[in-house]
Parts: sequence; structure tokens; C-alpha cells
Amino acid sequence: MSLRKLRRLGLEPELVDRLERHKKLSSCQDILEKIHLELLHLTNLTHSDVQKIVMTASRACAPTPTTALQMRQAGFSSGSTPFLSTSLPGLDQALHGGIPAGSVTEIAGPAGCGKTQFCIMLSVLATLPCEMGGLGGAVVYIDTESAFSAERLVEVAQGRCPQHFCSDDAFYKLTSQVYVHKTPTCTDLWNRLQCLEEELIEKRVRLVILDSVASVVRKEFDNSLRGNLSQRVKLLSKEAALLKYLAESLNIPVVVTNQITTRFNTSREGPHHDVLSGDLGAGNSAGASAAVDGGYVTAALGNTWSHSVNTRLIVQYLDDKYREVMVAKSPIAPFSSFVYTIQSSGIVLQDDETIRKWSERVATDPGLIPIKVRTMLGQGGGLVVP
Amino acid sequence: MLQEEREQGCIITFCSALDELLGGGVPLTKITEFCGAPGVGKTQMGMQLAIDVQIPSAFGGLGGEAVYIDTEGSFMVQRLEDMAKAAMEHCRHIATVENNREQLEAMANFTVEHILSRIHFYRVHDWVELVALVNILPEFLQQHPKVRLVVIDSIAFPFRHDFEDLSLRTRLLNGLAQNCIRLADSHKAAVVLVNQMTTKMGHSGDGQAHLVPALGESWGHASTIRVLLFWEAGCRYARLYKSPSREEATVPYQVTVAGIRDVCIPNNMQDLSTATKEEGDSLGEHSQRKRPRVS
Repeated sequence: MSLRKLRRLGLEPELVDRLERHKKLSSCQDILEKIHLELLHLTNLTHSDVQKIVMTASRACAPTPTTALQMRQAGFSSGSTPFLSTSLPGLDQALHGGIPAGSVTEIAGPAGCGKTQFCIMLSVLATLPCEMGGLGGAVVYIDTESAFSAERLVEVAQGRCPQHFCSDDAFYKLTSQVYVHKTPTCTDLWNRLQCLEEELIEKRVRLVILDSVASVVRKEFDNSLRGNLSQRVKLLSKEAALLKYLAESLNIPVVVTNQITTRFNTSREGPHHDVLSGDLGAGNSAGASAAVDGGYVTAALGNTWSHSVNTRLIVQYLDDKYREVMVAKSPIAPFSSFVYTIQSSGIVLQDDETIRKWSERVATDPGLIPIKVRTMLGQGGGLVVP
Repeated sequence: MLQEEREQGCIITFCSALDELLGGGVPLTKITEFCGAPGVGKTQMGMQLAIDVQIPSAFGGLGGEAVYIDTEGSFMVQRLEDMAKAAMEHCRHIATVENNREQLEAMANFTVEHILSRIHFYRVHDWVELVALVNILPEFLQQHPKVRLVVIDSIAFPFRHDFEDLSLRTRLLNGLAQNCIRLADSHKAAVVLVNQMTTKMGHSGDGQAHLVPALGESWGHASTIRVLLFWEAGCRYARLYKSPSREEATVPYQVTVAGIRDVCIPNNMQDLSTATKEEGDSLGEHSQRKRPRVS
């Protein structure tokens, strides 16, 4: 809309011609970029004429208003569900229905904790028909780490809804509706995202998964080099804006996975002193010990990215078998956490009493929630609690 | 001017500590900026104010309407509904307890549907749309003279990517700030801007990085009042750090199912009933003043 040509605004044609040819002002964006004095100078018109042009351009570009009541009613009457149920009852209840459509949800956590499993499970659920709690549509799975496994998809489907997936036909339908794209570099990813919109409309996609956004960025941007940090932030912001746009215009949920990083906290004086140590090399994941110099592990990609996602779920280890998913940031849900294990049917919530002791958690700054990682595998423990 | 200032209304919140901090509430004809880290409650604050501006005058509110400009996509109608219901029940409770006829009559126009219908929502996708919208807002406000609040959530997001030319960004932000100030003044409305935080590398030789409000130093001049929202030791705080008429102070607050509320001093009782949203939705049972978790 911002690239709308002045020509189509209904201004006098000679004026538009003159502006375009001599002054290179051809779209609304060009007009709105300039301050009033500049426009007066460029167009040689009177003050009120320039004002009129600016207002016409503004009216063309500004969005139309609606009221909150209309939004609520639209939500009721439209066929699409506002949430994708995760089939984990506690989590669904906390999130008022599940993963919200029309916004970006992030799942962050150490390696091997279950992020990809979560994504695979959501893919299965999204293809289920609406009566069964799914979205009845296709899924686009953008894989940057080559972690997607079709076998696992089928296994989860079988375990989750055995009655529905009982015939080869059902499996065929499932697998033909999940479109997997491998994008091992940043440029691949950006190109793929830019041409995603048509694909989403054409194939009637109801869920987009990006697994993971952190791995490509951290491979290619070395934070210690000057200038790289700001470039990285810019790229991530662009990606976030594009994902949000896709989520909203098609009213579908977008799920992104993220890695973790270590932050060193040397001064706890106050809110302003949040020390960023930078990432400890690319691919910092479960191997890193978190108890170094009073540091703690938190979601990667920095502060700006944390602003860009609408909902953040953090997964972490509790011990070798049990993991936990926490709702760390959400406009609609309070802070809550649930214990789960990974089984053949995907993610399964546990709610034994003995496990409930792990669920006692006080809400705190989502940027500072310490995440437990796994240090020694097997060998009886080795869980580092920062 | 003194008279005008005295008559100046404020948008009261249901959080008395916050109202104290701001000298009565969010003031009209001025720009108030709320900045904070992700997840601290800025969008919640914006939504709460959009409801609070509508509190009928019988209860001491402004009885106005609100314009909510969303640049991030965090606005969720379901959450707004929860908060609107809580606000309505809070007022109804006051009206019945005091048995004030005027208040009871005012409640007829203060239902959830009414509240939602008086919030005008715009979804803006990039800076061009934002600039264009702020240009035509004066017209809109003239057609809707009861609007007393404009919330932009957030002003930072559209300007933080895709800007190679920083001087263009500064120019645009200045223009926006001017327009907002003019809007606030001429329509007697409060403009609330939500800002993000950014990491700034320190110059003090130790290479430490701090979180500072985004959009740069020059943006700091745009807003009249700046409130920083932050976490400390598991509790949320609001610090007033720029204001022409109030001194710097910090108050705690919390985000509950009902919205932004005060934090109560815990009694010495064993009562572990939490005041945070974790406790779920039985709003009717709990009293409005909930006790925080004693940990």
C-alpha cells in the first residue's frame, strides 16, 4: 500500500507527471518520507496544496479502523479457529485454547529437549480435520537443521490418533499435506520466506513452522566482528516482520524455534544493567556448562528478537526423563509451567503429584528465566542448575 | 493556565500506586511513554488504559473512547475481554456497595460489549502506514470527539528494521512526535507510546552492555513523561524517570487476570492464594485485592 502510485490517488495528472519525471516522487512512500519544507521546495506549490497532497497520500496508506467489538464478532463468525489446540490439556487451558493464530509463537530451549518433537506434533495436529481439533489444512515446515523426519511424523500420528490414522490412505494424506523446505543458509531462508505467501494461499496452508531460526543466523554471523551484530539484528527484525505479516494476513499460527545462549550476570544492581556476553561461539547448546562465573542460560538471539515474538514457550530439562515447558511470554496467558516426557506419540504431559513439586515457579522476567541444560548424558545425573 | 491544568483530567488506572506515581493517572494533553523489556507488561498496560479511559464519570473516570494502534500484532481480543469484564465487575461492585444511583445508572452503558465497541483498533504494518495514520488521526478524532486516549503499541517496532538511513528515521520520528503532541493538545487526549528496549554497549571501559529505551537519545525528548517498566526479584516495578511535575519514584505493580493491579503487602498468614494470573479465572470469588504469593 505504501508503494501505491501517486497516479492512482486522483490528483491532477500534469502535477503527477511533473513530480514523477523531475522530482522522482512517484509513490506515497516518497511523499510521506519528506518533511513539509522539502515538499514545498520540490513541488513549488503553495502550503495548502502540499498539505492536500500529503493528506491524500496519507488517507490512501492508512489502514481502516475497526472496533474491538467487531473484532470479537468477526472471530466468532469466521470459520477459522483462533487457536491451534496442542492436545496438551494444561497448556491449552493456560493459553486460552492453544497456539494463537495470527501471531508468532517461539519455542526456545536446549538441544534435545523436544522442540522439533513439538513441531512435528503440531504438524500432525494441524492436518487433522477441524472437528477433531485440528486446522484441516496443510503445513509448511521450513527446516534449517535437517532435523525433520517423515518416519517420526508418521509414528507420532499413529500414536496420537490411532483411530484416525488407521489406513495407508490416511497416512498418505498426512504426508502429502506437510511441505518440507530445507534452507541451510540465511539467504535461502530469506528467499524462501519472501515467496512463501503465494505458496501459503495456493496450498491452503494453515500452519507455518520454522525450525530453527537461530541456527542459520548463528552460523553465519560472528558476533565478535564489528557490524555483524547490527546486521544480524536487522535481518532478524525483517524476518520477524515478514512472519508476522504472513501470520496475520492469513490468520494462521506461525511457530518458530530458537536455541539458547549463556548470559553472564556480573552486576545485579538494577534493571538497566543487563550484561550481554554475546554467544559463546556458534552452536552453543546443551554441551555448554551453564554454571560458569554465575552465568545463566536463556533464549538466544538477543533482546530485539525477544520483543518481536508474540508468545514465547521455553522448554528445559528437569532430569533425564522429565522435561518442562513454561509459558514465559504471552499477551493472553499467565506464567505457567507443565512437566512432560517425549514418547512415541509425541509430547505427553505428566501430572503426577510427585512431579508437581517441579511446577512451583514464580513468574519472573522472561529474558532472565534460567534454563536448565543437560551436561552429562546417562551416568546418573549431571543436571546443572544455574 | 493554572485553571486549565487543575481541570485537566487524568486516566485513572485500577492500580493506585501507579496513579500516585503519575500524579492522579495518565494525564491528558501529554505524551506518556512506557518502555520495558519483553514480557514485562507494556501491551497489558496499553490495553488496560484503553479500558480505563472509558470508566464513566460517575466513578471519577473520563467516560471517553480509545484509539489503539497496533504495530506488533500482540493485541488479542480475548485478553481485552477478560480485562473489560473485570473492570465492569469492579465498578459494579463499587456501585452496589455505595448504592449510588448515578453510578448504577452509568453501569448500563458500561458493559463488556459497550467497552469493546468504544475501542477503535488499527493494525499498522510498517512505518509508512504509521506516519500516514498519524497524519489523518486529527480528522478521525474530530469525527469521534469522545476519544480521550491514543495508544501506539509499539512505536519502536516499525522503525527498528529496514532503516539504512538513520537520519531519515530521526526525521520521521520527530515528525511523528510533533504530530502526536499537536494531537494530544488540540483534542485534549492522552497519547501513550509503548517503546522497546535495546542493548547499548557501554563506554565506561568495562565493555558492559545495558538495556536502554530504543529509538535513540533524541527520541527521549519526544515524550513528556517516561515510565520504565522492569522486573526485579520476581516482581514488576514501574519507575517514573522523566516528568515535569512529579519526582522520580518506583512502585510495584502486577498483572493479573483482571489486568494491571496493585501489589498488596502480604499478611503473616499462611495463605498461599496467589494474586497472579496463575490462579485462573474465578474472578467472582476472589475479592479485588488479591494477596501475592508468599514464597
